[in-house]
Amino acid sequence: MSDSSFRVHRSSLIAFTVLAATFAAAWLYQSRRPQPVVLIPTLTDQPEYCLTCHTGIEEISAAHPTDAFGCVRCHGGERLALDEDLAHSTLRGGGNPSDLSVVAESCGGTECHAGSVESERDHIARVTTSVQATYAGAIANVYFAFGGQPDLTARYSIFDITGVDANGHSRTLEALSESENPFLQKFQQNCLTCHLSAKAIDETGFHRLTGCAACHSPSNELGTYTGGDPTVAKGETGHATEHRLTTAIPYTQCNACHNRGNYDLRTMTFNPRTDHPTARLQDYYQPIAQFTKCEWELDCVDCHTANEVMGDGAIHDNKKSIQYVQCKTCHGTLAEPPLTKTITDPNDIALRRAFLNPSVPLSVGDTIVVTEKGEPIWNVRQLVDGRFQSVGKVTGIVYDVPLVKGSTCTQKPEEQESRFCHECHAEER
Amino acid sequence: MPRPSFFHHLHPPSIPWRESRFTYTFGLGGLAVFLFLVLCFTGALALFYYVPSLEEANESVQALTFLAPYGWLVRGLHYWAAQALVVVSVLHLLRVALTGAYKRPRRFNWLLGMILLVAILFLNFTGYALRWDQDIAWALLMGTNLLKSIPALGPAVYGSLVGGPEIGASTVVRFYGWHIFGLAVPAFILIAWHIFRVRRDGGISHVEEESQPPRFSRDDLIPREGLATLIATVVLFALTMLFPPSLAPAAGFRRPQGSPLPDDPAAPWFFIWVQELLRLGDPFLMGVLIPSFILAALVLVPYVIDSNDSGVARWFNREGRLAQWIALGVVIVLTALTIVGALR
Repeated sequence: MSDSSFRVHRSSLIAFTVLAATFAAAWLYQSRRPQPVVLIPTLTDQPEYCLTCHTGIEEISAAHPTDAFGCVRCHGGERLALDEDLAHSTLRGGGNPSDLSVVAESCGGTECHAGSVESERDHIARVTTSVQATYAGAIANVYFAFGGQPDLTARYSIFDITGVDANGHSRTLEALSESENPFLQKFQQNCLTCHLSAKAIDETGFHRLTGCAACHSPSNELGTYTGGDPTVAKGETGHATEHRLTTAIPYTQCNACHNRGNYDLRTMTFNPRTDHPTARLQDYYQPIAQFTKCEWELDCVDCHTANEVMGDGAIHDNKKSIQYVQCKTCHGTLAEPPLTKTITDPNDIALRRAFLNPSVPLSVGDTIVVTEKGEPIWNVRQLVDGRFQSVGKVTGIVYDVPLVKGSTCTQKPEEQESRFCHECHAEER
Repeated sequence: MPRPSFFHHLHPPSIPWRESRFTYTFGLGGLAVFLFLVLCFTGALALFYYVPSLEEANESVQALTFLAPYGWLVRGLHYWAAQALVVVSVLHLLRVALTGAYKRPRRFNWLLGMILLVAILFLNFTGYALRWDQDIAWALLMGTNLLKSIPALGPAVYGSLVGGPEIGASTVVRFYGWHIFGLAVPAFILIAWHIFRVRRDGGISHVEEESQPPRFSRDDLIPREGLATLIATVVLFALTMLFPPSLAPAAGFRRPQGSPLPDDPAAPWFFIWVQELLRLGDPFLMGVLIPSFILAALVLVPYVIDSNDSGVARWFNREGRLAQWIALGVVIVLTALTIVGALR
């Protein structure tokens, strides 16, 4: 018998108590750890535990259901780690996987946004050549004006980019290298703040993210997050309003760049607006700009097309060479009604876009306006009676679209651009 | 008289009174055995989660750490016991060297101890690498490249450990195999042998005296061991909860989504001294020859440097002065190099 060789001492009891306390501490430590919440997205089939902490975060978009995509497919990160630092250590682009430095990895893939031109899934390729990303026009203008280049043809970009120009000729823009010209040095330091790779100024009214999210994940004026993810501090700036991708981009998002101040070329500084515009028409930053009513009542995306904003795949010298939608695109001319097409293919790009924005009901058989380049203005439909009607992509407000043809307009046939329309139709500012 | 239990049987019936005092052994050998048993137990538990593949090695450590109930405890205890074992083993070596306990008839056991020390260092290194995170990447790269510097044998040794011309999928499996079957299992056998030799060599080293002083019974020894074990357990638990072992994203060896090498090359702390030596010159000389020379010097202590029979079980005995200087010198210099490297 061996039990008698162990004598029960008071010291044994103390030892037992100490051991029990140690185990109790471990039990307490375990019980205070977060209960893992698993998500196994159907596309990756790999468990991820992000929702353990990011509980209540909103689904990014109907086209990216959480059940299918999960978080890691786009964001990267350590899917199993329940330690904040480790989990986030390999995130792509910090909190924003659409930053252009990582977008190919996050949003790319031939089934996703790096697909073929024909299927119009080449978003990444187009955006990286667009003037919003290259900033080629602004750079070329300033470089030309201050002796950095002999003409207005774009030579430089925010990053190295090779592609083709609008005529299909090979074209390369070089990343800006440090200039010896003191003006251009200042330009590089102070004025490269408004392109898709630039971080927004952390002030009220300037908030936007970078990359795709600059437009597709709108911020509010304060740049605060108001969604359901408890890990984002309320009141912290630099966020999108919600964890959401949208194609219904309100004009306020465009204004974060396009109505927040001007560059002063004499001092080579950016003069940010300090006021906060309320009257949309009167408070536009360019005093000489002219707008007709629809230009300030509608949202920018109601008229400006995807190719204009996100690029058409060609490298352009400036905004002017890519921006082409005019009043006549929807209103036609004295001689012609707007161009239209009737949707026959259920995979038509117009239907795909309308799917992402259900405020515009569209189906096979509908007739919509198209631009001279064939891009659908899918929120402007021709009704059965021949009238045209537009639906606000953001607001859902329905407008009748009057045609020039048959009106009393005295426009000359050779003066068809919008600026000629403004002569009569611009609102007083 | 009741018959002793199994656990009593692992002990000698009695040990010499003088050498049973804590200030003679500091309980270091026993502590090392306890830490090794903790490592076997927690290592066995970790085996249920660990996946030795390029894609999943780091992920499985993350799963163990964050998702398995008490997985953090298993990993933390394994980690801290491993770190402690290095320290305790070195101190144990020092105690044996400074008390002349390596002298005849315990010379062979000193040799076994040296082999065990090397095994423990390599166990620590392979275990460290099995995390397969970006923090181990440099050490793994440097450590394995060091093998290439060995003349003639280098490529073969490298190939057998790395499992190919460069670190890759087979390396994880090789390290896993080495850690468990190449090192831990042999170490277990060697430890048993080491303990057996203590008994066979007449118990722990002690002064042979004419008159037989009273001896210390194992009935009193076991509660003491129990106390030491308890304290060690509490310390390991506390270290695990207060200072959990770190973990970084997967290392980027041939894995597209892994992380690249971090900027600062860093050896694990127990090999910082090697890294410091490597800064001084030729990799083969500094990284292989000098460590081997140090090891050889220590191995030769009872055979060449101090083959006296007298002075056993006496701290800083006169006969073993040179051996004591060598052991102390090695430990002090390597510790200094470690501190210099850690502060760099």
